[in-house]
Amino acid sequence: MTKRTNFYLTLGLIVVQWAASGAVWAMGEYSRLAIPQIKYQGGDYKPRPQAVESLLIQTAKRTSVEVKREFLELSLASKDLYRYPFLYLAGAAAFDPFSSEELKILRRYLSYGGFLLIDDASAEVHSEFDRSVREMISQLFPHNPLQKIPKDHSIFRSFYLIDEVTGRARVNPFLEGVSLKGRTALVYSANDLGGAWARDKLGHWKYDLIGGGQRQRKLAIRLGINIAMYALTLDYKKDMVHLPIILERLRRYHSQ
Amino acid sequence: MKLLLALLGLPPGEYNDWEIHWALSEAGWLFPAMGVFFLLALWFFWTSLARVTSPLKKGFLFSLRILAFALLIFVLLQPSLEMKQKSAAKNAVAVLLDDSLSMSIKTLPAGKRRFDLVREALDQNPEYFARLKENYRVEFYLVSDQLRPAQSGGMTGAFKPLGVDTDFGGVLKKIQERYPEDSLRGMILFSDGADLTQLPNSLSPDLEELVTGFQAPIHTFQAGNNEGFKDLGIERAELADFGFVFQPASVTVTLVASSMGEKNVPLVLKEGNKILASKIVEIRPGQTRYQVEMAFTPEAVGKRIYRLSVPLFAGESIESNNAREFQLQVVRDRLRILHLNGRPSWDTRFLREVLINNPKVDLLSFFILRTLSDDVAATTGELSLIPFPSNLLFTDYLYSFDLIIFHNFKYAPFIDKKYLLNIKRYVENGGAFLMVGGDLSFQNGGYRNTPIEDILPVRFKSTPDGIYQGKFQLLPPDRYANHPLFRLEKDSDASRRAWRSLPVLNGLNGGLIPKKRAQVLAAHSASGKPLPVLAAMKSGKGRTFAVATDSLWNWNFRSVGQGGSGRYYQKFWSNLLAWLTDDPATRLIQIETDKEQYSSGEKVLIQFKVLKEDYNPDPDRPVKLSIRSISKKQDLLSEDLKTDAEGEGSFEFHPAEDGFYSVKIEAERDEEILSSQAEFRRFSQTLEFERPLINAYLLKKLAEKTGGLYQVLKTGEDWKEPTFPRRERFADARSKTIGLSDNWWAYGLIVGFLFVDWWLRRRAGLS
Repeated sequence: MTKRTNFYLTLGLIVVQWAASGAVWAMGEYSRLAIPQIKYQGGDYKPRPQAVESLLIQTAKRTSVEVKREFLELSLASKDLYRYPFLYLAGAAAFDPFSSEELKILRRYLSYGGFLLIDDASAEVHSEFDRSVREMISQLFPHNPLQKIPKDHSIFRSFYLIDEVTGRARVNPFLEGVSLKGRTALVYSANDLGGAWARDKLGHWKYDLIGGGQRQRKLAIRLGINIAMYALTLDYKKDMVHLPIILERLRRYHSQ
Repeated sequence: MKLLLALLGLPPGEYNDWEIHWALSEAGWLFPAMGVFFLLALWFFWTSLARVTSPLKKGFLFSLRILAFALLIFVLLQPSLEMKQKSAAKNAVAVLLDDSLSMSIKTLPAGKRRFDLVREALDQNPEYFARLKENYRVEFYLVSDQLRPAQSGGMTGAFKPLGVDTDFGGVLKKIQERYPEDSLRGMILFSDGADLTQLPNSLSPDLEELVTGFQAPIHTFQAGNNEGFKDLGIERAELADFGFVFQPASVTVTLVASSMGEKNVPLVLKEGNKILASKIVEIRPGQTRYQVEMAFTPEAVGKRIYRLSVPLFAGESIESNNAREFQLQVVRDRLRILHLNGRPSWDTRFLREVLINNPKVDLLSFFILRTLSDDVAATTGELSLIPFPSNLLFTDYLYSFDLIIFHNFKYAPFIDKKYLLNIKRYVENGGAFLMVGGDLSFQNGGYRNTPIEDILPVRFKSTPDGIYQGKFQLLPPDRYANHPLFRLEKDSDASRRAWRSLPVLNGLNGGLIPKKRAQVLAAHSASGKPLPVLAAMKSGKGRTFAVATDSLWNWNFRSVGQGGSGRYYQKFWSNLLAWLTDDPATRLIQIETDKEQYSSGEKVLIQFKVLKEDYNPDPDRPVKLSIRSISKKQDLLSEDLKTDAEGEGSFEFHPAEDGFYSVKIEAERDEEILSSQAEFRRFSQTLEFERPLINAYLLKKLAEKTGGLYQVLKTGEDWKEPTFPRRERFADARSKTIGLSDNWWAYGLIVGFLFVDWWLRRRAGLS
């Protein structure tokens, strides 16, 4: 058998294998991680258009999670809303208050297993977007206000061990969230996470960081991956069997 | 009296007393009303005679009217005369013989049972009872917590200590009802005084009030004594109603010891012949009660029967309390599930959420968060990842799991292939295994030609052809409508509606071929080929299941989007866990008794049900029902029966003796023996042996409070004869009632008086 024949045979096998596995990989399409962006009235609902895709690419590259990379945007009234248990709401300016029907939909969505990541892209303290978000959440869960997410939350250890909260900017050194029956269903970042994630089509970072170097971007990407991993695995990392090892790692990580 | 008898024409001497009764005597208002009416009549009669001038005539006419009016009232009151023959009757003396179980206890040193001492006393003193009978009606009763009349002389036959409890208060209340007024002149009580309702060294106020209310003496004879009372017994075994398999349980045992001296005795806890725990109890003089905590570990689910025992020493008064059996309902602690996820996905996340929120589940889950090809862009120290402890899980801990789930999980390189054989053996020995679909499952996970393929309900084609990527609705086939997996609602119609309401699924693992022994519970036809979606199989003693899709989470979250909830998704998984782990409700043959415990004399109703493999009733199925005495380790009966049209049947059984029993039902089908078992217990009350000591205090107090005598029965010694106040009580022996108003002379006199009155007035020219 010549080298050329060998090459073609090998190529053929690879194609067959690819075709077979490709068919399988197409199954359970909706089980993959997709992160649609919420469309809302007033303001700019996609201030960082490439942010989610960039995060998904990094998630697929770094973890075993299978993702659906295409950009998706949905209004809360969309009939496809429940295909996607993870939603992303971003903005840099004030937005129109959600209607009572939209609030009802979002409340039900989050209460029955959905997850929402809110990202303030303004990089400002007490921004207009921040006010709109807080107003919306106070109407969404009047008896369950936004609270700081503690450092021992699974979000900070779902994949990477994280002890610093950041984004494109460092507005707040913490994340806030709303927990429902022990599950954090809503996470709010004031640090423009999307700005740190976003790349242009050539793969270059699209936005400069404010007050930090590449470590800040690295941490922001890790935080994004951890948030996605938390949405997919919940408190898995808090299972007792893992705790001793994770705590030991944390101890060593902090002592470095 | 003689004159009265003569007037009434009755023979002299036949009656010695009389009494008048008035028909309306109960109407208390009548007599004052009559008085007023009579006075008004007098006034009326007198004024109507105002025109009569002759005082003699006026007085005569007035008398006539008064007589007629008085007679009229007399008739209206309907008097009757009761003539009585009264004679002196004998009052009663009740002789109470305690026949409770504690009377069977031996008294040392002679070793006579307490009731033997009573029997002796009765046999040795017939003259006393003969003399007593001359003046009293002597009535004998057997007493415990019941009161039963006994033949006066037949003590030897009827007097057997069988009463399960002693309650003098209850018994004396019944005596009180039997002897109204004051006809009971006293009682003689033969007993050990071991009334379980009374505290040691006390007489309850209620009982004191009751006995003093008789105003008659109660003479008490103590049968037996506590001297030399020697016994070691298990008084009580206290434990929770149920325990968990393989989890330590504890039982608190109370031992009682009397006159046992100083010795160390072993307390042993057994199940069958296997010793589960033992403890040395240090018995010391002066201490009668000992509490011992014993820990043991139930090793199987179901109703387990355990036996506690202490040695039987020579001279013990009670032998039966040296061993005690108790039952514990052993249930699974929680289902321990190992959930291995090949990668985080929505399907794995929603299943994990259901499992972790199920209070019956103890979940250990592992997610493969990165593969060797993933570039984590971090050092290991910056990651929260841990090595997958496959060695630990699939060797040491494997048999501690009730179910292993491979959820879109490719075993290589995380699990050594040799461990797959361990999983196969685990299933064949009764474990459960579930594979959930996805791109890393079945042949895509490299399981072709592995031990996993051997145990799954499907085998794999070499290439995963026939992949179906479209949407499909999963509905249970009619044949499996009764399968426990599909019971989303209690009612089958509601269940069907629930299945129709569920969202569609998408994506299906192809290239799966159902095995012959497998049940394809749900399939979807794609391109004319039925693709199994849900398939089940028994593999050895265990069960396996294949879910050939990774989109079941649609039944949860997407169902919410359609206005429903995740309830049916949770119920489906709950059903699947129950089936996989051989929950009793999912068994094809079931047996139960109407109760768990039966008192002596009660019948045991046994009901059984046989289902086909598809969970439809199996009618006319021959079954073999056998009953075994667990306590005696003896087979009692075996019956060949048949199920009815509904696949059910019943059987009645009368256990002859106390103890634990097991009933087993077996049916043969396709060379497989299906069987199920239930346990029940027949018991007699043993309260009497819980406080078996003589209660001399109570017997003394009963006598003292009522003016009676307290004595201790001793063989060969005379007793001081009890006496009772002799007060005669008269009783009516015979009587005759004669009506005084319903006769001719009463009405004749009224008419006569009125006629004379009228005639005299006419003669005098009065109106």
